[in-house]
Amino acid sequence: MPWQSSGGGWGGRQNPWGGGRPPSSGGGAGPDLEESLRRLQAGIRRLVPGGGRAGLALVGIVFLVLWAATGIYQVRPNEQGVVLRFGKWVYTTGPGLHWHLPWPIETALTPAVTDVNRIDVGFTDQGDRRNRSARQVEEGLMLTGDENIVDVAFTVFWQIKDAGQFLFNIEPPQELTVKGVAESVMREIIGKTPIEVALTEGRGNIQTEARQKIQQVLDDYGAGILVTEVKLEKVDPPAEVIDAFRDVQAAEADRERFRNEAERYANQIIPAARGQANQMIQEAEAYREQVIAHAEGEVARFLAVLEQYRLAPDITKKRMYLETMEEILKGVNKVIVDPKAGGPGVIPYMALPEASKGAAGGRSRGTGGGQ
Amino acid sequence: MSVRTVLLLLALVILGSVAGCGLFTVYETEQALVMQYGNPKRVVKEPGLHWKIPFLQQVTYFDARILNLDVPAQEVIASDQKRLEVDAFARYRIIDPLRVYQTVRNENGASNRLATLLVSNMRQVLAATDFQTIVSGDRERLMRQIRDLVNREAEGLGIEVVDVRLRRVDLPIANSKAIFERMRTEREREAAEARAEGQEQAQRIRAQAERERTVLLAEAERDAQRIRGEGDAQAVRIFAEAFSKDPAFFEFMRTLEAYRKTFADGQTTVVLSPESEFLKLMGAGARDAERGARR
Repeated sequence: MPWQSSGGGWGGRQNPWGGGRPPSSGGGAGPDLEESLRRLQAGIRRLVPGGGRAGLALVGIVFLVLWAATGIYQVRPNEQGVVLRFGKWVYTTGPGLHWHLPWPIETALTPAVTDVNRIDVGFTDQGDRRNRSARQVEEGLMLTGDENIVDVAFTVFWQIKDAGQFLFNIEPPQELTVKGVAESVMREIIGKTPIEVALTEGRGNIQTEARQKIQQVLDDYGAGILVTEVKLEKVDPPAEVIDAFRDVQAAEADRERFRNEAERYANQIIPAARGQANQMIQEAEAYREQVIAHAEGEVARFLAVLEQYRLAPDITKKRMYLETMEEILKGVNKVIVDPKAGGPGVIPYMALPEASKGAAGGRSRGTGGGQ
Repeated sequence: MSVRTVLLLLALVILGSVAGCGLFTVYETEQALVMQYGNPKRVVKEPGLHWKIPFLQQVTYFDARILNLDVPAQEVIASDQKRLEVDAFARYRIIDPLRVYQTVRNENGASNRLATLLVSNMRQVLAATDFQTIVSGDRERLMRQIRDLVNREAEGLGIEVVDVRLRRVDLPIANSKAIFERMRTEREREAAEARAEGQEQAQRIRAQAERERTVLLAEAERDAQRIRGEGDAQAVRIFAEAFSKDPAFFEFMRTLEAYRKTFADGQTTVVLSPESEFLKLMGAGARDAERGARR
């Protein structure tokens, strides 16, 4: 197709004019043009064997038509057409098929203005993030405000804001500019942030501030670039010390664990002690009730007996005495010694071990007078 | 075709080509310097189609865009003698192609000269600033300062520096190692602190719980004794109140009770005299007994 876009290269693989002169054939249509010319000549020889004016005129017209056709170009939905007349930017077109005056008068560039481009700093999107090249690691290591080092990886998303500015104001590849500015801004911001903040709650602010600052610098350049988003992929302690950082978190978990274990212990023993205390009190109260009840019982019995006793004191006393004696003497060994009957022969001596029946293996001393 | 026509055509072609030689275009991204036998004549900044005298004048083109200038990382010594690796870049623009041509000939010369200026001024500015300010201070201000200094010197070159930016401000490898070491020890300290704190709190909680337990039990003991005492006192009061109504009878009755209880085990040997109250009937007759009863 003769109208291939000459404005490719927004991915940095090529660029319109590499910073030097534009190519002599407008919009890269050169080879196609020569090709068509050669074909044209061959056609003419076939068509107009005799030559002549009519032939010449025809050749001229065909040539003109073909030349004019090289001015047709297509703008895709994500592009803008930028038309240059003798190198001067004259107007901009939207998506669709357009025609510009053919080379060398006008040329058209079609930058992709709606595409969102991304630049990764400190890592690459392609491939494994854990196997970063030394250069990327170095790219990611930044000094913080309190003289620590963090490992930062972030992505800048950008698109073309103004095709003219983008194409004509800064040297391609334009993403080199975006990347340089982004890196310097991010390092500046991290350089003002203490490490704790950068690792934890500061991320949102860092992203916002970075986006604003990068945008501001690019606007100062008139780069025609819109930074849509700055996304921190990660902010970590450097690999050399990450274990120590993780250990801090583990230690904080340990601290909680120790506390919880102690709390658990406390929650076990205190209720147990309360229960024990309560039991002691209950037992004491039971004792109190018991002794009082016991006293009251005894007293009641005594008072009842006393009442009856007062009605017949002597006889009651006698009876009680006798009954008691009867009861107790029933169960004991009894020895009756009559001093008068025994005369002077009896010595008031008692072999105590002998006297008791239950005394086992008594050492026999004196007379076995017991039984 | 007559000779005239051929001649006319020939003339046209020659004229056209001569005119073509006198035309040149300036792109949006460039500016041009028109020279006559090596002498600069005029500067063309306006893009589009321009005219020069054919064969007599030549055109040299210069970039009109903002150009990149990267200088390799430099080791800089800050005012407090700390070493830093600084990687900076500049963005500049050619504002006067004539001047550029006269002083440094072309863009290449311009960027070389500018790189030299940038490095020397950067060193100068950073050497007057302490480490902390370079890392965390107002970098914007430092960058502006460097830019303005470079601009002052580059003025005669026809170049304007739009922006100077410090990309990386890092420590040399050895210092980074020291920082890592410090970071590690700081974290280790923090971890040890957290664990010790946990232990301390745990111990405190345990000790407090144990104290509470001891106190609870002691107080319970105290209260229990008090309650028992209350019971005992009450009992004593009840007994005393009742028994004092007839102490003699109480003594009699209680003594009997005591006899009963103490002799209940059957382990006792009692030596009795027939004279005793209990046996007196054995020796005496019924009369005696009657007498005794009457007494």
